Amino acid sequence: MLASYPLLTILIFLPLAGCLLLLPLWNRAPFARLAAFGVAAAELAFAGWLYSMWRELEKVPTKLPGYLLMEDTAWIPSFGIRYTVGLDGISLLMVMLTSFTFCVALAVSWRAIKERAVLFLTLMLVMESGIMGVFLSLDLALFYLFWEIMLIPMFFLIGVWGHGRKIYSTIKFFLFTMFGSLLMLLAIIALHLLHAGQSGVATFALPELMHTRLPLNTQLWLFAAFFLAFAIKFPLFPLHTWLPDAHTDAPTAGSVVLAGLLLKTGSYGLIRFGYPLFPLAAQAFTPLFYTLALLGIFYASLVAFAQEDMKRLIAYSSIGHMGYVAIGIAAWQPVALSGSILQMANHGVTTGALFCLIGMLDERAHTRDIAAFGGLWGKIPLWSFFFLIFSLTSMGVPGLNSFVGEFLILAGTIKQSPVVVVLSFIGIVLPLIYMVRLVQEVVFQKERQSLVLEDLCSREMAILTALLLLDLWVGVHPAPLLDMIHLPVQLLTGGGQ
Amino acid sequence: MTSRDIMALMPLIILAGGCVLVLLAGAIKPGGYLYEFAGALILSALFSTLLLPVDAAMPGLAITPFSRFCMLALTSAGLVALLLASAYNRRREIFGEEYPATFLFALAGMGVACAATDLLMLFLGLEAFTFAFYILVAIKRGSSKGGEAGLKYLLNGTLSAAILAMGMALVYAARGTLKLAELASSNGSQEPLFLAGGCLILLGMAFKLSLVPAHLWTADVYQGAPAPVTALLSTASKGASLAALLLLLPLFGAWHGLHDILWLLALLSMLAGNMAALVQSNLKRMLAWSSVGQMGYVALALVAAPAGGLRAAVFYLVVYATAGLAAFGVISVLSDEQEFETIEDFHGLGYRNPLAGAALAVAMFSLAGIPPTAGFMGKFAVFAAALRGGEFVLALIGILSALVAVYFYLRIVVVMYMKTAAAPLERGRTLNWAETVALIIPTLIMILLGVYPQPLLELMEKILP
Repeated sequence: MLASYPLLTILIFLPLAGCLLLLPLWNRAPFARLAAFGVAAAELAFAGWLYSMWRELEKVPTKLPGYLLMEDTAWIPSFGIRYTVGLDGISLLMVMLTSFTFCVALAVSWRAIKERAVLFLTLMLVMESGIMGVFLSLDLALFYLFWEIMLIPMFFLIGVWGHGRKIYSTIKFFLFTMFGSLLMLLAIIALHLLHAGQSGVATFALPELMHTRLPLNTQLWLFAAFFLAFAIKFPLFPLHTWLPDAHTDAPTAGSVVLAGLLLKTGSYGLIRFGYPLFPLAAQAFTPLFYTLALLGIFYASLVAFAQEDMKRLIAYSSIGHMGYVAIGIAAWQPVALSGSILQMANHGVTTGALFCLIGMLDERAHTRDIAAFGGLWGKIPLWSFFFLIFSLTSMGVPGLNSFVGEFLILAGTIKQSPVVVVLSFIGIVLPLIYMVRLVQEVVFQKERQSLVLEDLCSREMAILTALLLLDLWVGVHPAPLLDMIHLPVQLLTGGGQ
Repeated sequence: MTSRDIMALMPLIILAGGCVLVLLAGAIKPGGYLYEFAGALILSALFSTLLLPVDAAMPGLAITPFSRFCMLALTSAGLVALLLASAYNRRREIFGEEYPATFLFALAGMGVACAATDLLMLFLGLEAFTFAFYILVAIKRGSSKGGEAGLKYLLNGTLSAAILAMGMALVYAARGTLKLAELASSNGSQEPLFLAGGCLILLGMAFKLSLVPAHLWTADVYQGAPAPVTALLSTASKGASLAALLLLLPLFGAWHGLHDILWLLALLSMLAGNMAALVQSNLKRMLAWSSVGQMGYVALALVAAPAGGLRAAVFYLVVYATAGLAAFGVISVLSDEQEFETIEDFHGLGYRNPLAGAALAVAMFSLAGIPPTAGFMGKFAVFAAALRGGEFVLALIGILSALVAVYFYLRIVVVMYMKTAAAPLERGRTLNWAETVALIIPTLIMILLGVYPQPLLELMEKILP
């Protein structure tokens, strides 16, 4: 049987094992690039294969309802930590997003990363393993471990290959995340001890810990620690300040992974761990969550409008878009939650594409200043075409993926909190303002500086076409993906009342 | 004394006797293979600890599984530190048999301290290795920093020895025995004289472990001593002192004041150590201050002793010592005529000397407690014990000061990998095989313990209550 193979372990550690492939190629960057991309592509193929198989896998029951695959082995019995990994529809979507994003990130940095290229590739593969681990862990301690491991490569990525105030940004990024994580670590241990006190079983396993009976007061404290850690990653207003700096100074590949995946680990953690573990506290937090999400949407959109650096603008718009994901989670209702999960993937594709595009422009013009450009439609039409399409996606134009996610989120939320939905509808207009301004100034307006720019090469075309196809697929026909996450979402929200 | 006893004592005999043999060998053939000889002796002490699994008790000393574990850890650390010293001392022109002989004497003293069963032996062991360090710290003749460090250590050390001795005398006066087991089992009322003695003993031990407020010697001594000596001083001597403290703790019985004192020591050490490390511009001083903070975490585990804190403390110390060996190891392999110690020295090191850079980076991540290094497992053990013991406030303060620590440890990584040197990069020294091995061993252990600490944790469960 398929399920008897350690498929998930392979999924997590394939990229890490791929690093060994790079060792003999330490001084041959071109081959190393191919090898690393080959590993990432193999991972993508593997994830795609799992996607094509998910209906088959669903028929075979696992230990937990809703899970397609599970693996469980003792790891550190003295601490009660087990190696428990599981794949359900939500994880599968995230796994697909991860493997795809890494292919994009490696491809987009093909030319851009020249110095210490093999070190860069190694770190990328290590990070892919870490992120896969985050999306598959069902043991809280294991989750925390992967959660921290993925930080180290990103820390180097920004610090070594970044530009501008890269060291300031990377330290800020690391310390912000660590601050939340360390408190979450205390909460994880506390939860573990409370559970051990009640049941006599020392475990960090999510399914067991969900049965811990906690008074509301305890739940509130523990949830607050989890919430803080996830909100920083999310990032929710006012914990977002690390993100624009990190994005601005990161290399393109770093930005793509940061926006596409690291932010998703925050929302994923909240969906997988925060809400199921502390349902009462989560309910009590809902008004705060809504407020922060809405504030984030408005604040980030207004700040985005005032940006002169294109990358910083997209970084702020990213905060705004994640605000919708936050609203969908806060509603904790099947339709809205499906929307949020879908939107997590969509945001990865759209924002990833925009960061790629800006990175490509930066490689050519060596500036990201909006005021430096203008009239690009006439000069580099292919680039402009893709930029226009992805900007439209970001604005939420129907037929493209963001619309589907945001629509589901708002449709699901409206019954519970009409006020929130009304306010977020206003918020939906705001990206229109700053994105139109961006597109108008960069693509359409008269040329302001005479720049000699080459249009996209075939590698860049391939990357953007792949992203565009995904964008259109989800925009036009999201049903297969929604089917895939349907059951886990129903189980999470309590059988779908 | 039976042959069994001799077998059990073999590691101590090898080390103590070896010290004399090295001195003699140096006199007979000056400049011979003294380091190789000393290394072989330490290695044979290590193997006799491993291969002669004999427990024995004799007056003043008892070879228990715990003391054998300590011996194993100490000799391993000693071996790495000796590998580092062999090349370093040649470069810094520290010749002669004094170094290896004193080195072996220090290890023997540490071994005695971990195996003592009465206060006198304990004192003897502790002061034997401290005495050896007075010499080792100032071993570079003509170095003003080394001399200053040696003098500071001597003054502080004799003060603490006096305090320790005074405490032991008071305890003896109160209870009329020096045997640890009898002292621990006498359920008499905690009379003031005994408690006064106990507190003095704790203060003396706080000096050895450089816990605040007895930490002031640490930064100067770590900085002034030759790097391989600091490598041993900051790891093995801390380990032996912790082992001795673990032997002493049962004395206090259920006296609640012990908890309060340790609580305060932990709090002050975590805060003062990590805050002071923040502003250092010299790596050795930074590591010294951070070791004060790290010892605070050990004390935090000791506060939670009833909740399995002892195991966590020993585990944490092993983890800390591994990282300390790697960090001071990097400093000593890079030091030429000058100690390689200011933070500017490390600019771009990760590319100039990949092995040293990687070892130092892993050590920094481990000290900062970031997975997949051993430091994370250590922090995990300590905080789990602290929360199980109900020390929420202290755990919270501890984790927040760990965040401060993340910053200054990361700064070293930043300097090594993300900044380029102002001066044109010269390639780093090429390391000889001894130095390469001495860096690879602790680095591998840090990663292995970070990924799979279970064997060591199981061992901990066997040897500690």
